[in-house]
Parts: sequence; structure tokens; C-alpha cells
Amino acid sequence: MQSAPKEGVAGQHNMEELRKLQPRYRGLEAGHRACQGCGEALAARLVTEAAGPDVILTNATGCLEVFTTPWPQSAWRLPWIHSLFENSAAVASGVEAALKAQGRSTKVIAQGGDGGTFDIGFQALSGMLERQHNILYVCYDNEAYMNTGIQRSGSTPHAAMTTTSPPGKERMGKRHMKKDLLSIIAAHHIPYAASASVAYPADIRRKVRRAVSIEGPTFLLIHSPCPLGWGIESDVSIEVARLAVQTGLFPVIELERGELTGVMPIRNPRPVTDYLKLQNRFKHLFTDDPRARKEREHVQALADHNIEIYQLRGEGVDALDTDGADTVRRGGVVD
Amino acid sequence: MKQLSRGAFALPGTSLDFKTGTWRNEMPVHTHWGAPCHVACPAGEDAQAYIAKMMEGHPKQAWEILVQANPLPATTARVCPHFCEQACNRKHMDQPIAIHLIERYLGDEAIKNNWAYPVDVSKEDGDPVCVVGAGPAGLSAAYHLRRLGHPVTLIDSLPEAGGLLRTAIPVTRLPRDVLDAEVGRLLKLGIDFKPRTALGRDVSLEQLMGEHAYLFLAPGAAKSRHWSVDGAVPSDLREGLGLLKEWLVVGDIPKPKSVAIHGGGNTAVDLARVMKRAGVADVHVITASGLPGPDADPKDVLNVVPREFEQAVEEGIVFHAHRTIQRLLMRGSKLVGLEMVHLKKLPGAGGRSSRVAFEGTETVLHVEMVVPAIGEVVEPQGFENLLGHADYFKADPIGQIAGSDRVLVGGDARGDRGTVTAAIGDGRLAALAIHAKLTGKELPDPKRRPFIDYDKLNVNYFEPAKRAVEPMLALEQRNDSDEIEGGLNYAQVTHEIGRCFSCGNCLACDNCWTLCPDNAVIKTVERAADGSHYVFDYEYCKGCGLCAHECPCGYIGMVSD
Ligand SMILES: Cc1cc2nc3c(=O)[nH]c(=O)nc-3n(C[C@H](O)[C@H](O)[C@H](O)COP(=O)(O)OP(=O)(O)OC[C@H]3O[C@@H](n4cnc5c(N)ncnc54)[C@H](O)[C@@H]3O)c2cc1C
Ligand SMILES: Cc1ncc(C[n+]2csc(CCOP(=O)(O)OP(=O)(O)O)c2C)c(N)n1
Ligand code: SF4
Ligand code: SF4
Ligand code: SF4
Ligand code: SF4
Repeated sequence: MQSAPKEGVAGQHNMEELRKLQPRYRGLEAGHRACQGCGEALAARLVTEAAGPDVILTNATGCLEVFTTPWPQSAWRLPWIHSLFENSAAVASGVEAALKAQGRSTKVIAQGGDGGTFDIGFQALSGMLERQHNILYVCYDNEAYMNTGIQRSGSTPHAAMTTTSPPGKERMGKRHMKKDLLSIIAAHHIPYAASASVAYPADIRRKVRRAVSIEGPTFLLIHSPCPLGWGIESDVSIEVARLAVQTGLFPVIELERGELTGVMPIRNPRPVTDYLKLQNRFKHLFTDDPRARKEREHVQALADHNIEIYQLRGEGVDALDTDGADTVRRGGVVD
Repeated sequence: MKQLSRGAFALPGTSLDFKTGTWRNEMPVHTHWGAPCHVACPAGEDAQAYIAKMMEGHPKQAWEILVQANPLPATTARVCPHFCEQACNRKHMDQPIAIHLIERYLGDEAIKNNWAYPVDVSKEDGDPVCVVGAGPAGLSAAYHLRRLGHPVTLIDSLPEAGGLLRTAIPVTRLPRDVLDAEVGRLLKLGIDFKPRTALGRDVSLEQLMGEHAYLFLAPGAAKSRHWSVDGAVPSDLREGLGLLKEWLVVGDIPKPKSVAIHGGGNTAVDLARVMKRAGVADVHVITASGLPGPDADPKDVLNVVPREFEQAVEEGIVFHAHRTIQRLLMRGSKLVGLEMVHLKKLPGAGGRSSRVAFEGTETVLHVEMVVPAIGEVVEPQGFENLLGHADYFKADPIGQIAGSDRVLVGGDARGDRGTVTAAIGDGRLAALAIHAKLTGKELPDPKRRPFIDYDKLNVNYFEPAKRAVEPMLALEQRNDSDEIEGGLNYAQVTHEIGRCFSCGNCLACDNCWTLCPDNAVIKTVERAADGSHYVFDYEYCKGCGLCAHECPCGYIGMVSD
């Protein structure tokens, strides 16, 4: 085994210059304080990369807000504003109205975690959609209130352990189901709503470009693993995200005016246990307790149900299915 | 502009002032592992590297990488058992990369387009070396010595170079125009080739030692082992290698109604196929080994290229595995049959294994002729002093003969080799060793390098894809002269190289660059110091390991910081 020179590599390059020469737009820069392997940081970077630079961002309180903007520094290279936990969509609505009054075409993107979107910011979001603002709302779904120490949210999946849904005598983790937010969004009959996963960056980029090109309210839900909150090693965030899609637990779909218009087909559905067993938040489902077995079957049934209602089952090999969409092609840089 | 209050604004991108690299306790480093195909090749070919060059659309440069190790790729592509493919990581997903067909494509393109070896022929500043025997081992040694700038004298007792490639391997497997093109190109590198010059007949060891700084011996093994059945030998006995050689030169082969060939190597199988095609109705091969198959112990199978065995079966050769000949059935001086018995190599009391025949398993095979093909030993003439009473030369892993400082040996003459590729590898290693000794450099290391296992790749990023299939002559089209297997066209080769995982080396997929949550992977247009196009920015890298986990090729490793 021959290993690369340890310091030499960075030392031989002017990193500051190289950073400026990167062939992609960098809306979210290094130096932010997200945990190692944070899926939310990656997802936000991918979103701004695809949408920028003519964009104004609003942000709900939460990890994304906190780790990107420790005063007086900002990791954002875009105009960005934070007001409260519950009002990202409302602030965005105001920004958009002001831009409209000025006759400017700058796109507004509102951002929030799942707590800020499914729960506390929901009525602001619903209003934004109902008033037909020209805004893309992106929810980074890490399935709990992470910034305050992992409390359950409306998005926390059934049976997951959080500090406020501990497994014990009464129940095996969260009793309730993950809120079907996309159906609620669909009921607003907006032009475009979709889900995506950090495990499929090309799909995120395509959906962001699609959404910002639409005049009117659009919505994107991005599944973003949180190593801390899910109890996973920092290197497997993408692996876990990929499995959420491959098992059917996180359906990757597109809705136009409330109608299902596209799904990422699953080529070979994986058993949910492949996904669950990697995460500490589902650890109690792998004990001797007979309820553990029952809950595992329950989660499998939820995945099967998703596959059924969204018709996720692929028909053979497809370049855009769960196996094809991340196939690598050689040659990132030509000689 | 009105100054905003504290906390209300920050400059874009100022987080760069905060070096998150200090959080790290493990760091990602690019680590170029050996690919299994590379490590498994006895000649030292790096398939991963030349496939990558092909992928970039540079077949000539790919061939130049290939011939850095092996000067005869069009030849080995046709006759090697393809150890590379047996080791290829892709076998765990679907089927191994058809490396030999890529090798063959490049080898044939080089011949077609007259590509020259990337060797500076004018360089002759090294000490002179003599190579004895112009088979694959000798040719390879001569080639590598010329690459390194040594004047080379190459002697062979025969009128033409090539060794068994020319005198034994049937043209249906290795067309002679391919061999001639490769050998001819090699000899043109300013090698002083002296045909019809036998050591021990025309020149002595001492003479050669006097005229050269070093000697590399590659005389192969040409003397058939003594064969008899309990002392009995038919009066008209012919041994297998002799028959094959005669057939290649004279074009004639005995045609009894039925024959049993005794042996389990290339000679036995090639001879069986030649005799079958010549019209011998029943051709049997009796071998103490087992037959290749999914459950076979690799140490206990026929010592032939697996697909040669398959083709032989297709052609109607009957194999009797784990069997030996116990008695010849003679009517007068005429052979009418033989008695076979089951046997197996079993470990004995002292730990040494021996062959045990099983009583009660005797059967009679009616054949008119029996041909031994049980292997060859070194023809000792000229080498008596070095060989002693041994069948083969004894040498250390790089070929150094004990007690003979300036003499190295390689190829079949070592006794434990037996393939063209191993011979080529020996020639290369010996050349490197001789050069190192003459220039005071470090000796080459013959040990197998570690290579990257399948489980270190992230195969989520690869799609299943069928292996390209070479064209092959149908049974009824096979004759004495036409090559049985064909090559791939450019489109098929392109498909095949696209299947390669690029084990242990970056394939520039952008995954690390795309997926680093901290923007700590930076892309460069020029190559970075380690040869890739990506650089880690350790000022910001938090060491999460995500890039390493998602690298499809295992090129990123995490080391403690
Ligand atoms: C029928 C047959 C089929 C085979 N098929 C395959 C195959 O498909 N794949 C594979 O990998 N291997 C195959 N082999 C084995 C392979 O051919 C040998 O392993 C390989 O050729 C060994 O190379 P070498 O250079 O050591 O010896 P050789 O090829 O035997 O060359 C030795 C050379 O030295 C010369 N020489 C010998 N003594 C002297 C002397 N005293 N003075 C001067 N010159 C001398 C000889 O004339 C000869 O040219 C086959 C062998 C046989 C017999
Ligand atoms: C009205 C209000 N209630 C509670 C809080 C405390 N608080 C700040 S961030 C946060 C959790 C954010 O969770 P989520 O929206 O899921 O984002 P994440 O941190 O998981 O990215 C909470 C509860 C607050 N800031 N405002
Ligand atoms: S707690 Fe989770 S979401 Fe928040 S920064 Fe850490 S990994 Fe990201
Ligand atoms: S996949 Fe490619 S690099 Fe890996 S062993 Fe096979 S040929 Fe070699
Ligand atoms: S993904 Fe980024 S932060 Fe994580 S180890 Fe790799 S370079 Fe470092
Ligand atoms: S992830 Fe892709 S680009 Fe990065 S080192 Fe590995 S092969 Fe190269």
C-alpha cells in the first residue's frame, strides 16, 4: 500500500486560488459548524449550487441557521435572512412581495428544518402557498428537532427513538406515524412539489432547477440524515439516505397540481431492516422483546404501502431508478 | 449606507475564517492500492492503468503502459490463463472484465499500426548481458535489459526465436504472423540475436561469463521425463511434446483409430485436440488431476488454460480424471489397450502427500496407441555444473542461482513456472535485478503487493453489465490453420472497459467533490501531486469519512490525524 503524501498535497496548491476556480457555484461555503457528515449541510449546499446566484434566502431557526451563521461570520454567499422558528415562509412572502414591487426577478427560497416546516412553521407555509407567492420552499427533513437536542417532530418516523419518544414499557419509540406532508402540500394545488434525497445529488439539482424556473409556489422535501440525531457514523449519511429510498421508506416523487407525475422507481427493494439496523434510533427494534419484531414488521408494512400507493416498483433496469440514478461515469475532468 | 446593528449582518463567506479542520481526528488521503488484476498478473501488467488510458480515448498510450511490463501482449492475450481475470473484483458482481480481450485489442492494434516500443534504442550505456534461450523468458529479459540501456546478446539453439511459442503451441491458438510481428519488433531493439547457437555445443558457459557482466538462463525444459508402466514401454513409443513439435514443422501426426494421452498439461490437451482434428476417432486424456469446475480445488486441476479445456471437451476429447495407467495390454508387440485405476493425491503420515491408487477401481480402455505427456525437465547439456543432478535450476525468487553470483535463471527451467506469462515475469524481474546489481540500486521486490478487496469498493455506483463475448469458430469450422478465437471490435472494447471498477485508483467520478458537506474537496484541472484531479482542503475537512465511504474505487482512505 502506497499512501499519498500527507501534507504535500494541500501544500503544493494554492488552496485559496483553487477554491475560487471551482467549476460550480458555491452558495454555501466551508467553515460552517455543522456536525461531521451532516446531511442537511450537504443538501443546502446542493440546493444553492443549483439555484444560485440570483437568489435571496430566508431561514427558519434550526441547525441550518445556527451552523451557517455564528455571528459575525456567515457561510452563505447569498443574501440570507433569519427571523424566527415559525416564520421562514412568512418572511419569504414579504421579501418576494417587496421584490415584486420593485419589478425584480430575483428568486426567493425559504428554508426550514422539518420542525420548522411540518410543525411550527406550517401555517406560515400554508399561507405562502395559498397566496401563490413566487417562492421555492425547501424543507431539510432530518426527522426531528435536532438543534435543540433531538426532540420528536411531526416528521419523525414511526418507532424512532428521540429524547421525547424514548422506547420503554409503554411504547417502542415514536407511537405516531410520520406526517404525510406532501399530501397536505398537494392539497394546495401548487404547480410543483417534490421529494428528494441527499443520496441522489443529480436528482436534487434537476428538481431545484425545475422548481425555480416555475412562476409560483413550489415545494421540495429533502431527506437529510443527521448523524447525531439518528445515531449513525458520520461516514454513512449517504449510505443511510440511499437505503431510505431503496427500501421505500422515503418515496422520491414529484407532484404537479397535486397529481403524482413522477417517481424514482426502486429497482430492487431492500428490506427495511437493512436501513433500520444501521441507526441507533432504531436499536430497540433489534432486541429480544416480541414488540421489536412486531414493530419491524410494521415498518416493513409502511414501506410496502408507500411502494404500493406511489407505484414505486420499477420495471427492470432504468437509468433513473434507485440503482441507475447514481451510477458513476468516468471522467470528472478531461485531461 | 446605514450601519446595521450588531448581529444583523455578516459578510458572505466569512465562515472561511473559521478553520473546521481542527475538529478532525481522522483525515482522508488518496491511496492508490494495487488492483487485483495487476497484482495477480505474473508478468506484472497493470490492467487498471491501461484500461483507464483506453477510457480516456488513447489506445496507443494504453499499449505503451501495457508494454512497460509485457513486450508480447498480442501473444499473452491469446495463450495466458488470464490470472488477472480470475482475480478481477468484478467477478463478485457479475463476470470479470474480459481483460485478455482488451489486451488483445491493444496488442493487435500495435501490430496493425506498427507502434514502436517506448524504448530509447540508442541508449547503450549499461554493461553487456547475455541471455540464453529466446523463449518468452529470454525475450522478456532481453527487452527489459534493452529498456534499461544494456547491450544484449541473445542466443538460441534453434534457427528462430520464440521457444515453445513457436515450436509447440498450435497455430489455431497463436497464429504465427502475430508471434512473428511481436518477436520481430522486439529483436529490432538493437538486440544481438544469435540463432543456431547452443550453449554446451557452440559456446560454453565460461566463454559467455567471460564476455558479459551477467548471464540470464532461459533454456526452458525440453527433455521429456522418463515414462514407463511398471517398466513396460511399447516399442514404437513417441512422447507428446516431440509429436507436437514434429506436427508443427512437418505437418504430420500419427492417426491410429484410438489414442490415450497420459498427462494433465498443455501438451496433453493440445496434442489431443490436434490428433482429434487429424481424424483420430477416439481421443482420451488420462490425468491424475481433477477437472476444472466450480467446486474443484485449484491445486488439483488440469494445468491448462480453462477455456482450452472447455473447447477440448466441445471437440469430443474424453477426459479420465484422477486416473492413472496401471498396466499396458499388449498382443505381441502391439498395444491393444490399457488398464486404468482411480487415484488421488493424499497427505501421508509424514505430512507429504503421495498418490494412492484404489484397488477395485480398475477399468480397461481399448486404444491402439498411448502417448506420454507427463512433463519435461531441463536438458542438462552445457549446464551440468549449475544443475548438478537436479531436474531444474534452483534459485531465489528473483532468479539468482545460489553460489553463482552472475547467473540468473527464469521460465520453465525453474520447474515451478509453466506459463508464458510467468516466463515473461521472470525475464522482467531478472532484468531489473541485474540492472539494480550493476548500478548499485535496490533489488526489485518479487513479493505480491497488497491489493484492494471488493468490500472496500462502493459498488452502489456501478451498474450490472454483461461481459463482452469473443467470436469463436463453430466446431465444424475448426481446422489446422485458422485461429479459433477472435477479438473484439472497438465498440465492444469500449463497452468492456466501461465495466471496469478502477479498483484502487481514482476514476474522476466527482463523488467526493459532490458529496463533501464541507466543501473540503477541491477539484483541479491539472493533476494534483498524487496524480488525481482532487485535493483535500485540510483547513476545513472535518474528517467525517463520507468521501471515503462513497468513493466507488476505494481510492480514499481515512488515517488517524
Ligand atoms: C504444447 C504446449 C502448449 C502450451 N500452451 C500454453 C498456454 O496456452 N499458455 C501458457 O501460458 N503456457 C503454455 N505452455 C507453456 C509455455 O509454453 C512455457 O511455459 C513457456 O514457453 C516457457 O518459456 P521459457 O522461455 O522458459 O522456455 P521455452 O519457451 O521453452 O524457450 C526456451 C528456449 O531456449 C532455447 N534453448 C534451450 N536450451 C538451449 C541452449 N543450451 N542453448 C541455447 N538455447 C537453448 C530453446 O531452443 C528455446 O527457444 C505450453 C507449453 C506446451 C508445450
Ligand atoms: C417558537 C420557538 N420555539 C422553540 C424554539 C427552539 N428551537 C430552536 S431550533 C429548534 C428545533 C429546530 O428543529 P428543526 O426545524 O427540525 O430543524 P433542525 O435543527 O432539525 O435542522 C427549536 C425547538 C424556537 N427557537 N422558537
Ligand atoms: S445535529 Fe444533525 S442536522 Fe444538526 S448539524 Fe448536526 S448533523 Fe446536522
Ligand atoms: S474491475 Fe478493473 S481494476 Fe478491478 S480487478 Fe477488474 S480489471 Fe482490474
Ligand atoms: S467528506 Fe469532506 S469533510 Fe468529510 S472527510 Fe471527506 S473531505 Fe473531509
Ligand atoms: S470519489 Fe470519485 S473522484 Fe473522488 S477520489 Fe474517489 S473515484 Fe476519485
